[in-house]
Amino acid sequence: MGALAHYLEAEGVPTTQISLIREHTETIKPPRALWVPFELGRPLGLPDEPAFQRRVLLAALDLFDLPDGPVLVDFPEDIPEQAAGAGDSLDHMACPVNFPSSFKEKSDIERLLSAFRSEVAELRSWYDLGLDKRGYSSVAYFKPDAAGKLLSDFILGEPLELPSDISSPAAALRFAAQDLKAFYFESVMSRPDLTLPTDEAFNHWFWQKTAASNVLRLIKETCLASDDEQLRMTGGMLLVPLDQA
Amino acid sequence: MAKLEEMQEPMRSHLANLPCPTFGTSPWVSGPPLAQRRVAIISTAGIHRRRDRPFEGMAGDYRVIPKESTAKDLVMTHLSTNFDRTGFQQDWNVVFPLDRLRELASNGSIGSVADYHYSFMGAADPAEMEDAARRLAGLLKGDRVDAVLLVPV
Repeated sequence: MGALAHYLEAEGVPTTQISLIREHTETIKPPRALWVPFELGRPLGLPDEPAFQRRVLLAALDLFDLPDGPVLVDFPEDIPEQAAGAGDSLDHMACPVNFPSSFKEKSDIERLLSAFRSEVAELRSWYDLGLDKRGYSSVAYFKPDAAGKLLSDFILGEPLELPSDISSPAAALRFAAQDLKAFYFESVMSRPDLTLPTDEAFNHWFWQKTAASNVLRLIKETCLASDDEQLRMTGGMLLVPLDQA
Repeated sequence: MAKLEEMQEPMRSHLANLPCPTFGTSPWVSGPPLAQRRVAIISTAGIHRRRDRPFEGMAGDYRVIPKESTAKDLVMTHLSTNFDRTGFQQDWNVVFPLDRLRELASNGSIGSVADYHYSFMGAADPAEMEDAARRLAGLLKGDRVDAVLLVPV
């Protein structure tokens, strides 16, 4: 990010930026930067809080009125504490199945995929209702059934059906995994029995309680054992977050 | 929190050890007051129009996002799994604050909103982005942009 600012400014285009990792910005020294104490993925701080977002935005843009630089300024506000306990309310949604720590037996894999299909089917109606209400979804390439089929086919060694604009099995697996997570979150957003979970609560539920997370971990292991370099890289870095591995 | 010292391992070391470029110069371009500036957003969140090509690799390429875009038009295909996406799924402005920028133009805080905005996939090596960034400068000037807001993810 800071490097982009340097290149643009060197070409005569004034820049300001938001910084999420202060140490990186201190090293790169872009012309103007506002460091914010927010988590990765949320540079404007809070979703659905226009006034808060506007304050962040203006603080970054106000740096244009400074006479010289480089400048690195700290945003003075942190995000308010979010409601605790929302994660607990998600746990009852998980399939009550205890999976083995590894899936070496064919029967274990069949049991996992069966639980995964049931989980997707149960969430699907809430996802569809949410889609009708909002009018759009952040699911990009793989609708829920298609994501489930692609991921299951890979585990079973079946040929993969790739969309025309996706060039490799590795990319398809990554997009299907992200779309699956988006589908799970949007399903949770729509349920009337839940308060909207924090991202931390959602990630805890998704990665610790769902059949889907076991499917993604099994795909990760399969990718790591592959002869295909792209699949090994995808399995190593791009399917399961570092803090959930 | 995005404070390195508050992060858990192995994420903390992963981020702390990412190589960051350094430069021998500190370019600085002045301009008119903020209220007269034309602002474009450049995101590194790997977002793009739904029908545009996804970010599949680390080539340092970019996508164009026209100012008429709305939340339903954009998707995210960033490589990394190590940042929160639920915020973007709730409200695109937490990553790409185009609605907020329009409001600032409406109330006179900025001069205007650029016709075109841009997105990179931030996991790419910054050196791979240099040629594209320098070409972008010409496009931004053609759009009369004199204020770029860079937003990471």
